[in-house]
Amino acid sequence: MRAQAGMKLLTHNLLSSHVRGVGPRGFPLRIQATEIRVSPVDFNPDFVTRMIPKMEWTALVEAAESLGHLSELPRQLKEGYEKDEDFLRKVHHVLLEVEVVEGTLQCPESGRLFPISRGIPNMLLSDDEATS
Amino acid sequence: MSALAPEERPPSPGEPPSPLPAGARYFCTVGRGLEPFLTREVGARLAATEVEYVSGKVFFTTNCGLTMLKQLKSAERLFLLLKKQPPLFISSRSKGKVFNEIQRLVTGDPLCWVRAVSIWRSLLELEENLPPEVAKPSKRKTGENENIITKKLKIEQTRVMPGDTECQLQKQKNDKIEEHKDLTTEKENFQEEKSENDGEKEVEHHQGKLTFRVSCRCSGTIAKTFTTEEVGRVIGIALIKQFGWKADLRNPSLEIFIHLNDIYSVVGIPVFRLPLASRDYIKVAGLRSTIAWTIASLAEINVGAVVLDPMCGLGTILLEAAKEWPNASYLGADVSDSQLLGACDNLKSAGLMDRIELFKFCVTELPLHSESVDVIISDVPFGKKFKLGKDIKSILHEMERVLCVGGTIVLLLSEDLHKYLQDYKESNITWNSSKDNTNEFKIVKYVNAEEKNRIQENVSPSFQDDRQEWLDKRPLFGTLVQMECHKVSLGRTEAFISKYKKIHDSELQQPS
Repeated sequence: MRAQAGMKLLTHNLLSSHVRGVGPRGFPLRIQATEIRVSPVDFNPDFVTRMIPKMEWTALVEAAESLGHLSELPRQLKEGYEKDEDFLRKVHHVLLEVEVVEGTLQCPESGRLFPISRGIPNMLLSDDEATS
Repeated sequence: MSALAPEERPPSPGEPPSPLPAGARYFCTVGRGLEPFLTREVGARLAATEVEYVSGKVFFTTNCGLTMLKQLKSAERLFLLLKKQPPLFISSRSKGKVFNEIQRLVTGDPLCWVRAVSIWRSLLELEENLPPEVAKPSKRKTGENENIITKKLKIEQTRVMPGDTECQLQKQKNDKIEEHKDLTTEKENFQEEKSENDGEKEVEHHQGKLTFRVSCRCSGTIAKTFTTEEVGRVIGIALIKQFGWKADLRNPSLEIFIHLNDIYSVVGIPVFRLPLASRDYIKVAGLRSTIAWTIASLAEINVGAVVLDPMCGLGTILLEAAKEWPNASYLGADVSDSQLLGACDNLKSAGLMDRIELFKFCVTELPLHSESVDVIISDVPFGKKFKLGKDIKSILHEMERVLCVGGTIVLLLSEDLHKYLQDYKESNITWNSSKDNTNEFKIVKYVNAEEKNRIQENVSPSFQDDRQEWLDKRPLFGTLVQMECHKVSLGRTEAFISKYKKIHDSELQQPS
């Protein structure tokens, strides 16, 4: 049976801490990984092209770098990336092929730690911590 | 409607050509409420023609082969149509006369039976030539049999509708369960039988004496006077006399399915051993797979979409969605560790670990940016866990927040929840409109960005009908507008599949 899957950088880019009072400063979550997995995923240029505009690019680059998988990603998005297959493949790799299996995510504002265990991030807040 | 993965194409090189260029006529049993969805699906997937439906059944013609037929997702079971005719005339006639008429289902047109069996045989021969994953039932680990059998039992039980006597000759249901056990616990023997050479053996077996079993369902008027056993027996005896077939209740080669009610008399031959609704890629289903797929099919999942199920349970809806629309990003979340573990298991069995990611978080506190999700699909828990009132509102509030403008939400709601939301919507409007002196309500406009159409509802003074239309288009909640709502049967209970879209603030006009 295949080993445990993990949190991808694509999804990490969508996650935000919702500890009370933190607001937009709850992003991006800092990753501390104790176990990373790299596994091949079929490349679909259409998918990657559509995902890129949804990403916070700087945060993505930072996260990839913190995991040691920057993979020559430019720090700034260039025009016309849709046609650059080489570039798209690099993005594909960073978004989908690097997974955090064990580690923590940290809220940059409150310092609150969210554990990642067996590939599943636990972001449940207690009643006092929660926004509402 | 978002396109299904285009399945209507000529057989690909690896696929054997259909033996029936002219096509064959089939019918599917389908859960009540899902008929329109299946109707649409057979058209899109199988290029089906002559499609018609009555409650619980969809009839169609297609020349697609078994591989394609097996792809049907909103159907329960698939049958080759043998006979479809108006209901038997019961009324004041003697039992004997009615028995004769039942007999005539066989004797009246024997050629029809011969033809159907021949089509069935050619389909079967083709199935034996298919690669193992398609032809054979899934191989499950022996350890997990009990759960699966119990679950199947539960599903079978919940599907018996009131007033319906479904009874197969001599406790066939028990036979079916035992047969199922045989399949799984005696895996060794089974696999030996299904060796490469067996294809030929089975064909020979079919050419020879056919063994059969009749399975009957009666409802309505006929059920008041006849038991399904009586009906089954009449048919069985007629078949033996007419064709010389042999009855075999334990392991027949041919199954005959008869359904008699006040609307029709239908006879068919089941095409597959297992119901279509039983998926080989789902280890343990939470929600019924047909409903899960239908929810996903309404959601307009495009390439590159971010799809969230914030109450995913065992992940059934996400599995159906990811299987059909693989080029999207799927996120599932639940607060229960045991559910997440089960979901994880399911993902692994289905080989969908790459497509679907799991999280532990609560739907009322989504750790996601505002407007970061394109699609939300979910089965809202029915029971005591979520109380009506406060919780459903905070759930919708969060969903609305994380959803992109133009994004879609499709939820499965219990009858209570659905009613509650309808009342909530209407009470909102009543309150707003009581401020009005005139009885004129302002226009509600919304733009469906994908269709690029501007739809306006102009409410005229003769407002009774118009008011209802206006009410329907009125946002349920903030900027969520209800698009469609479908009542479906879950067996013993009923539920509603409800679809919403998020519109832009500026598109929303309040009554003054």
